[in-house]
Parts: sequence; structure tokens; C-alpha cells
Amino acid sequence: MKENVAGGAGRAAERLPRPATQQPIAVRGRGRRAAGDNRAAYAFLTPWLIGMAVFTIGPMLFSLYLAFTRYDLSSAPEWIGLDNFRRMFTTDPRFFDSVDVTLTYVLWSVPLLLAVSLGLAMLLNRGMRFLTGYRALFYMPSLIGGSVAVAALWRQIFGEEGIVNKALAAVGIDHGSWVGDPGSALYTIVVLQVWTFGSAMVIFLAGLRQIPQELYDAAAVDGAGPVRRFRSVTLPMLSPLVFFNLLLSVVNAFQAFTGAYVVSNGTGGPSDSTLFYTLYLYEQGFAQLNMGYAAAMAWVLVLGLAVFTGLLFLSSRYWVHYGDER
Amino acid sequence: MRIRSAAALATAGLLTLLTACGQSLPDHTEDELRGQGEVSGDIRFSWWGSASRNERTNAVADAFEAEFPGAGVKREAADFGNYFKRLNVQGAGRNMPCVTQLQARTLGDFTDRDALLPLDPMIESGAIDVSDIPEAVLDTGRGPDGKLYMLPTGAAYDALMVNETLAEEAGAPLPAPGYDWEDYIDFLRRADAGLPDDIAATSLRGGLPNFFIAYVQGRGENMFDGNQLGFSKELLTEYWQMWQDITEEGLTNSPAANSEEPTSPEAGYLAQGDVLSDNRPGNALTPAQGTLDGAGEGQRLTTLPLPGGPAGPGNVLITSGMAIPRNCGNVPTAAAFIDFWANDERSGDIYASDNGAVTNTRLLQRQLDDPELPDLKKRELTLYQDIVENDPPIVLYPPGYMAVFESAFTRAYDDVAFGSATVPEAVDTFFAEANAGLAS
Repeated sequence: MKENVAGGAGRAAERLPRPATQQPIAVRGRGRRAAGDNRAAYAFLTPWLIGMAVFTIGPMLFSLYLAFTRYDLSSAPEWIGLDNFRRMFTTDPRFFDSVDVTLTYVLWSVPLLLAVSLGLAMLLNRGMRFLTGYRALFYMPSLIGGSVAVAALWRQIFGEEGIVNKALAAVGIDHGSWVGDPGSALYTIVVLQVWTFGSAMVIFLAGLRQIPQELYDAAAVDGAGPVRRFRSVTLPMLSPLVFFNLLLSVVNAFQAFTGAYVVSNGTGGPSDSTLFYTLYLYEQGFAQLNMGYAAAMAWVLVLGLAVFTGLLFLSSRYWVHYGDER
Repeated sequence: MRIRSAAALATAGLLTLLTACGQSLPDHTEDELRGQGEVSGDIRFSWWGSASRNERTNAVADAFEAEFPGAGVKREAADFGNYFKRLNVQGAGRNMPCVTQLQARTLGDFTDRDALLPLDPMIESGAIDVSDIPEAVLDTGRGPDGKLYMLPTGAAYDALMVNETLAEEAGAPLPAPGYDWEDYIDFLRRADAGLPDDIAATSLRGGLPNFFIAYVQGRGENMFDGNQLGFSKELLTEYWQMWQDITEEGLTNSPAANSEEPTSPEAGYLAQGDVLSDNRPGNALTPAQGTLDGAGEGQRLTTLPLPGGPAGPGNVLITSGMAIPRNCGNVPTAAAFIDFWANDERSGDIYASDNGAVTNTRLLQRQLDDPELPDLKKRELTLYQDIVENDPPIVLYPPGYMAVFESAFTRAYDDVAFGSATVPEAVDTFFAEANAGLAS
């Protein structure tokens, strides 16, 4: 049977010798001080708590309510139960198109981003001249890659008369517009995302520096070649950082918006080939004024992301090594 | 118990906050609703446009402030794409600017929500003078109840814009006045035979709603029947099949090239000399020619009315104008501003028909009489006069026209152009989506 902690502590205190006149005063003083500390803590926390309630929890709860309503921004929300979700999963083909586009984007962009950033981190982990300059150079796309200006530039690069086609023409390959073709438009946005590898690369670089040289030396003594050393030393030792980068990249990729908005002029075109989930949500909410439906879509995205990250955490038990396993 | 109380308190606070998010509507007096009262105090004014239009608009607002020293105009500009999204959010918070620029195509979105004040009482009281605006043009600012909610100040129209130099070089005379769609395609065929290989006779515009509106008008059908599509599936099938046929003939540019074309007319393929002809806003003639001049090849653009049909001409007017939302707390100043914009000669001279021909016939004639008016601008304005003389039909656009109809129309045709749907499939998809979207 569990012992009541407060009661146990009280009984233990009873057993201690104490000066009868002093102890109650000391306890009262500590209590007052503790209460004062609590008040101070709450006072300092209050601005944050108010901000959290008003700007985060409040809007979230309101959007949850809106998900069950028909709301066009101008008239009062009308309760319609599960109709928004029913429409989403039964009669709205564009919803599934947007899920398809987003999943394709996640499945291509995340592994490619991780592979490129890890590869470059390994390259930059070697001793070479001007290393700091190279690192800064490689990190730069991360600072500007998600911007509207670069996304607009992307349209030019992958356009019919763009640099990519000019380079391909130089080697005798003739190709039409990449952003104008439904078969390739999405992949230009994947490349745009992969180009922003800098943050993941810096994290990998920090991780690579922490791997003890003795492990590589021991592996080399055992006859392991570069590939085996990468597979048996580098990857297991980096696995917590791979997991961290994977998680961040997946969450970012599910919420991708700017690239698709700019490259497709906000339409998700051509022919809905870049209709990202967030873009469709935005269109429903702010162009078609189906704010209730958009709120429902937002909550489905939250739940989908929660499931996806939950699965990643579950899978991590089998492939992420923290170095403290016995 | 304490937790429950705290939760109840938090919920009450949240609801109070959310209720407070939208402002309450002012109670207007009879006089205010008639635009009567002192013209003083600040009003907000919003519009869309490019940097050059912003300059002209600011100059008109400055002239108004000079005319009414007690009044101030706070200005809010945005590009066309984002303007209406912002307006939707402002409308939700009952925070629309006192003078809000609208387009006839979007008017239904706001009349449907009862967000605007009728301007008729202000016209009856003389606060706003409309005596110089043609009735047919004025009607484009009316809601389904027949009341005037937007005073049309600029009338644009879509035109067939043609690179006249390329057409001459290709040995293809321009279509004669009163031409129809068959004449138009004959013109494209003749031109295509003489054009260089890398220049298409036309941009692929099967997914452009404005072009289709001209087709519907020429065939005598209605665009809308209340909140539903008013034309037949057969008509749309015929129209999209026509575009498919001329695409297969090689008269158009490719769907991929078409979908990556910059949206502004002055940056489009026609302005760059890459296509012979296109459907473009009539008032884009001057800026498009400016871009073409930059190429230095001395090519010349011109505009023609859109093709007609057995039922008559195809052109409709696309008017822009000004409205006063119900949340406006300074109606007399807003009415005075609209009146100044629509009737004052300084306003007409400064704005110079930047967003479609000025609807005030007196101001329009003043511009046409100006010996310094450039020829291209004169062409824009005279073509507008010609279109108005033909008494163009009024299209009453239902709420959600741009967000639902235009988006679904372009997307469905893209599916045809890229081969992911047949014409009948795309027509069925479009009808289902547009009718459902417009009805809701």
C-alpha cells in the first residue's frame, strides 16, 4: 500500500527532536516565502499565460468549433456537425488530390533533403582550406530559399526559356517548361526545398564532430572500408540527429506553402499538380470563404501530422541509438 | 471546483474576446444614408493596382483633400490578387474602408452578405451625381435587388489584341468589323501559314473565362441563372472542342508554355512579341505596346472587339467602381469623395482612365479632345465608346464568381489541354463543381 507522502513526511518530522518554540515560526516563514515565490512566479508567467490563452489556445479552440460549422466570415457560424468532414472524405476530389500532392512532396523532398545535407556535411567535415567560407556558402540557401523572391526566381530557372533548359540544350536535350508541365511542376518545388539543406547540414556537421575517432580507428583495424564505416559507425552514431532532422523536415514538408503558392501563382496548377494541402486549405478559407471547411482541414492536418510523428517516434526505437543502451 | 470555475471563467473570457473581434455597425441617420452632412474627418479608401496607378490614385486623393480641407483620406493599396482576400477578412471584422473599390465581378460577394449601403438615396439627394454616366454602365453596379451598390467609375473590356506588324508580314488581313468566331479562326489559319515557326497565331485561351463569356453572348445564351450556370453543357463542349481543334492544328502555343506565362498583360507573350494575338484587357494596349517597344523591333499592336456570333457582339463591360460599406462611420465624406472621383475634371485628368475608360461621358470626351492624348490611349477609349454604343449585355455575376467559377473553369480546361480529361468529362466536372460552389 502506498504511503501518503505528506503524512509520511509529517510523521518523520514528529520523530525529529525540535525546539518547541522555534520550529513553528520557521515553518511559517518558509511557507510565507514559498507563497510569495509562487505569487512572483505567477506574476512573471501571467503575460505569457495571457498570450498563450488569447493567441494560441483560444484561436485553436475556436477553430475546432468552426470545424463543425458552416462559416463564411460575414455571418454567424452555423453548426453542421460532421458535414465538413463528410464532404472532405466523400465528395471533394480536390481534397484527395491535395493529400496526394503533399504526400508525394513529403516522400520525395524529405529523404532527398536528408541525403544531400548529410553528404555535404561529411564533405565539409574533412580538413580543407577555406572550410569556414564553404560552410557559410552552403548555409546561405537556407536563409533565402524559403522566400518569395527565390520561389519567383525558380519559375524563371525552370521555365521554358530558363537556365535549366539552356543547360540541357547545350548537351542536346530538348525539354519544354518544367513549371508549366503537370508531370514535372511538383518536382521543381521538391528541388527548391532540397536546396534549403543548410540547417540540417549544420546539425549533421555538429554531430559528425562528436563521433570519437577511436571508433573509426577500431573499425579500420577490423578491416572495415569507407562504406562499412559509414554504415556501422557514422549512421548509428548520428541516428539521433537523423531522427531530429527527419522529424523537423517532415513537419515542415507537410506545411509547405510559399514555394507552391509562388510557383503556381496561387492556383495549385497546372492542372492541380502543385495543389498542396495548405494551399487548398488557404483557397477554401480565404478565396472561397469556406472558413468552417478550412478549419476542418486544418484539424485533419494536425491529426495526420500527430499520427505521422507518432509513427516516427515508435519506429525510432528500432533505429535510433543514443549510446546509453546496454 | 476551483478548476471548473477557472475553466468557466476562461471560456467566458474567450467568448467575450471573440465577440469583441468584430466591430458593431454604426446606426446611420436618414441624412447620413442620403450622404448629407459635413464633409470632414477621415475616411479610409482602398484600391488595387500597380505602382503607376497608386501614384495617380494618391494624386486624386490629394486633390480631394485640397478641395475639402477638413477631410482626410487614409489610403490602402494592394495588388489585384491579394486585394479581395484582404477585403474578405476586413469584411468579416466589419472593418472595410469607407470607400472600397470593387469590380462588378466581385460585387455579388458583398451584396450577398449585405455589407454595402445602397447609393440610390445619395444620388436622389444630389450627394452623388450620376447624370453623366450612361445608364447601361450604371446598371453594372446594381445588386440582384436592383439597387445601386457600386458606382462604376471605370469601364474595362476585353479585346482581341493583335500584333499588326506580324499579321501584315504574314499576309493575314485583320478580321473585318462584325467578325465572328469562324472569321477569327480563319484569320489565325492564314496568319499561321506566314508566321515564323516559333511564333504561335494565338495564346491558348480555352480556359479564359472572359473569352468564353464573349462566346456565350454571341450565341445568345445566359452566363448565369441566379446562382447557377445559365448556359448549356453543349455550348461549353462545343467551345472547348473548338480550342482543342485549333491546338491540334498548331495555331496555339503549348499548354505548358501557356501555364507559365506571367499574369500581367505587359509581361505576357503578346507584349514580348512571342504570339500574334491574344485576348487581353483593352486598357492594356498602352503598357503592352510599351513592353514591345522595348524589344526594339518596331512592331505595332492594335485592338479589335472580341468575336461576335449570331446573337450579336461578344463584348461585355467589366466595370470597376466604388462602394460604401455599412460599417462606414463617415458616409457624407465617403459620398463626397465618390462624387469628386466620378465628376471632378481634376480627378478625370489625373487618373486618365487608368483602370478602364472613365465612365463619365463628359470627362471621357475631355480626355479624347486632349490634343496631347497618345494615339494608343485614344484607341483604348474609342473602342470603349464603340462597345457602349452597341448596348453590351449586363452580366449579373453571382457571389463566388471569381473564387468558384473562374478557378473551376480554368482548371477543368487545363485537364483537357494536358490530356488528363476528355472534353465531355471536363465539362461534367466543371458543371458539377461550379453549380455546387455557386449554390453554397
